[in-house]
Amino acid sequence: MSIKDTAQSIIKSINDGDTLTSVSLSAENFHSDTVKLVSVLVGKKLGGIYVTTSRPSSHIRAELEEAGADLSDLYFVDLVSMTVGGNTSDARTLFIESPTMLESILLNITLLERRLKSKRRFVIFDSVNGLSIYSEPKVLREFINVLGNSMRIKEIYSMLMTVKEQTNEELESALNLLSDKMLGE
Amino acid sequence: MAKKDVTKPISLDPRGGRPREKCVTYIEGIDRILNGGLPIGNIVLLAGTVGSGKTTLAMEYLINGAKNGETCCYISVTEPSSKMLSNLQTYGFFDDALVKDGRLNIFDLTVINDRLGVERLDGTYTSKDMEALLGAFEDIVDELGVTRLVIDSITAICYQLPDRGSIRNFIFRLSQFLSTFGCTTMLISETVVDSNTQTYSIFGVEEAVADGVILMGNIIRQGDLLRSLQVVKMRGTKHSRARHLIELTPVGLAVVPLLKWGQDGGQAFT
Repeated sequence: MSIKDTAQSIIKSINDGDTLTSVSLSAENFHSDTVKLVSVLVGKKLGGIYVTTSRPSSHIRAELEEAGADLSDLYFVDLVSMTVGGNTSDARTLFIESPTMLESILLNITLLERRLKSKRRFVIFDSVNGLSIYSEPKVLREFINVLGNSMRIKEIYSMLMTVKEQTNEELESALNLLSDKMLGE
Repeated sequence: MAKKDVTKPISLDPRGGRPREKCVTYIEGIDRILNGGLPIGNIVLLAGTVGSGKTTLAMEYLINGAKNGETCCYISVTEPSSKMLSNLQTYGFFDDALVKDGRLNIFDLTVINDRLGVERLDGTYTSKDMEALLGAFEDIVDELGVTRLVIDSITAICYQLPDRGSIRNFIFRLSQFLSTFGCTTMLISETVVDSNTQTYSIFGVEEAVADGVILMGNIIRQGDLLRSLQVVKMRGTKHSRARHLIELTPVGLAVVPLLKWGQDGGQAFT
């Protein structure tokens, strides 16, 4: 499935009333394809929260700006910058001290959600695999379950991004159980 | 036309009955845990280890009450009120006007003691001192019309009482008149962890007399310290007994449920 087809499937999924989709992309183009997906969503006037566990939000923001994406209603939850001593002052970003503080992700999404102006909203979680570096599989499964269901209750469309080559059967099965749709490669 | 659903909603409180009037804390998540807030007039022991966020939570409780037009009072036992006031400036949710308008009152226990003449060289109160101190607290609450009170900390006062019986008597008498005035009170209790078990108080008496116990602590997860909160007991309301994560955000404290698996494996209270 090309990234264009994946983007179209996501738009259809949103229009169909789905709330949680797992998106699997190959490692080779993972970052650029994720940026393309977000560009499409903000282009459709959706407000969003980008949770980053694999790269500093400043890098992702720069790539989105370069792609010409409208960032006026896009906020970030960054689990990387504080850990690596990067820039942690940005009005549109909430920084989490450590990737082990999984509950803080939920809390910060709740805080940012209040700032979103758009009626149609999304959360992109980039990526589930990034968290698996720091958390045991059983903790990660529980977190995904809590995250997915709390987004469902809030009626925020959520995308859980996974790197195809790094996703084992156990994680895939947990995502399958939770998601309305499994998209991508 | 569809029939109107007349099903009686399931009561959230399994005991049935009429719920008590609540003192809303306006702290994100806490009112949900407490099924609407603290029952008015309750004396609540806010117990926790060092750095667990007790003073911050208590202060936000007072500030939120003051912002909503209540008269609130903080009695500082362990540090000067001037230091407390300068610490308050660092909270985004604090507003100087609350102090100027007399809605948030901060008192030093040492100043109260001086005025009452109850400061003893050996650091122990006599029964006459105890009466004078209780009388001073009662006057403050009555004359100012205080509806929210924080004593930080009750542990420091307990250290000055001669025995456990006196501690029980002091807190019992305190709770009696505060309850009569409808003043909802937080008594801050400094606790320690012994063999991975956190106690509710140093003297083991305070929690038995208090109407409620909120336990705060630090959990170690892979070397990181996470603040936790759990309501152990709260007379007069149904409440959650699950452990929650508490975090200081730009808009004040916020509480979310702690992941269940995230509590085991190399983690303990500190």
